[in-house]
Order: sequence, then C-alpha cells, then structure tokens
Amino acid sequence: MNANLNGLLEGKIDFEGQKLVETITRVALVVLSVISFIVGFALQSLQVTFGIFSAGSIALVLLIVPPWPIYNSHPVQWLPSLPPTSSSIKS
Amino acid sequence: MHSLYARLNNFSAFLSSCLMGLLAAIALSSFLFTAEPKGELTLASVKVFPGSSRRMPTVKQEFTFVNFNISADLTPLFHWNTKQLFVYLQAEYVDSKGVQNDVVLWDSIIRRKQDAVLNIAGRNKYVFRDLSRSFRNAQAANYTLRYNLMPYVGVLTYGEAGRTSEPVPFPEPETVS
Repeated sequence: MNANLNGLLEGKIDFEGQKLVETITRVALVVLSVISFIVGFALQSLQVTFGIFSAGSIALVLLIVPPWPIYNSHPVQWLPSLPPTSSSIKS
Repeated sequence: MHSLYARLNNFSAFLSSCLMGLLAAIALSSFLFTAEPKGELTLASVKVFPGSSRRMPTVKQEFTFVNFNISADLTPLFHWNTKQLFVYLQAEYVDSKGVQNDVVLWDSIIRRKQDAVLNIAGRNKYVFRDLSRSFRNAQAANYTLRYNLMPYVGVLTYGEAGRTSEPVPFPEPETVS
C-alpha cells in the first residue's frame, strides 16, 4: 500500500517520455507567451493576455505533470539475465 | 524529468522565464503609443491676498488664488498598459531671489478611459505661497497642465497637455477689508 502510494506520487515515466515532456514544455510555453501577447495587444487588454497565459499554463501542467500512459510507452528493454556461472556458485 | 516533482520544477522554472519575457515585451510595447494629446488651459483669475497661515499666525505672508479652466481630451493616453493618469496643474515662475519654482496647484487621478475627457473649472487645491512670503518681485508665471502616465508594467512617462498662451504676472496684493 505504502509502496503503491509512493509510486503514484513519484510518477515515473520512461526516457522517451522525458524527452517528449521536455520538448512539449519548451515549445508550448514559448508559443503561449507569443500568442497571449499578440491577442492581448490586438484586443488592447492585459486581462486577456494574462487570462490566456494562465489558462494555458494550467492546461500545460495537466498535460505534462501526471505520468500519462503515452509517456510510458517505451519501457527500457533490459538484457536477459545471465545464467549463473560456476565461479559464482563456488563462492 | 523522471518524477512528478522534477517535471513540475522544470515547468515552473521555464514558466518564470517566459513570464519575464512577456512582461518585458509589454513594457516595451508602451513605446509604440506616442499620443501627445493637447488641451486648453486658461486662467479665469489670479489674485494675491495678504494673510497668515494657521501654523505661523504671527508671520505675514501672501497667498495667491488661481481660478482656471481646463478642457482636454486625454483618452488617447489610455492603452492596454495604462493603469492610471496623474494630471496636475503647475505654476512655473522665477521668484524674487531669481530661483526657478515649480509649484503644483491642483491635481487629479484619472483611473478610467471614460473619465479622461476633462472639462473642469477649478481653483487651486493646494496653498500657493512663496518661500520669500511675497510675490511682489516675482516674475510672471507660466501655468502648465501636465500628466504622468502610470503603466501596469514599465516606466513612468511625463508629458505636457496644455500651457497658458503667455506668462501671467502676479497682481498687486489686494487689501482685505
């Protein structure tokens, strides 16, 4: 139970997933800043700018923080374990 | 990036950088708005009276009373980064000792665009007196209507929205009967 809870709170994802999350964060935040500036400038309203920026940020947190299954679709393939050698048996 | 906290940390770190960039862009965008609205400032009357203040009842000094009319449309100053306008009327004159004086006589804070059309007949809100206690040898004063634009993000900008067409001399003190 405790181990399950810890695993849930840790939210591990695989290496491919980490790379994807990194890319999404960078691109989405830059695009979000640019869009919120342009829309706010066009409508002459800072309220619109920061509304778009904060709503987008919250959506992005929901997208990247939980360990969604898509970030775990490339699990690490470990090599098969070697059969025990005679020397290891002796010792 | 492997754990939940690492992803949250990475996100918030880059979020703060983007927010700084956004704020800088907003501050810089204020320089694109270069409206300099002009209004009219006329003086209805300037009178000088001898008297004494409550704080220094024994000291005789002179007080100037200014009645003025302002008509100005300052709505062009309101853009997306304008928080409020501080509008003030200033008397600028060289006093009897040859020192340049700028005295604020009246001011007003405008918070909304729809309040930015000014049609005001007013009198000085703040006591107008000279350090030498007399306006007798002071040179004629220019009266100007100035504004200070306060943005949400960025630098304060100052401007002049009106000025009396020619310097107005201080009249002789009137006698109080």
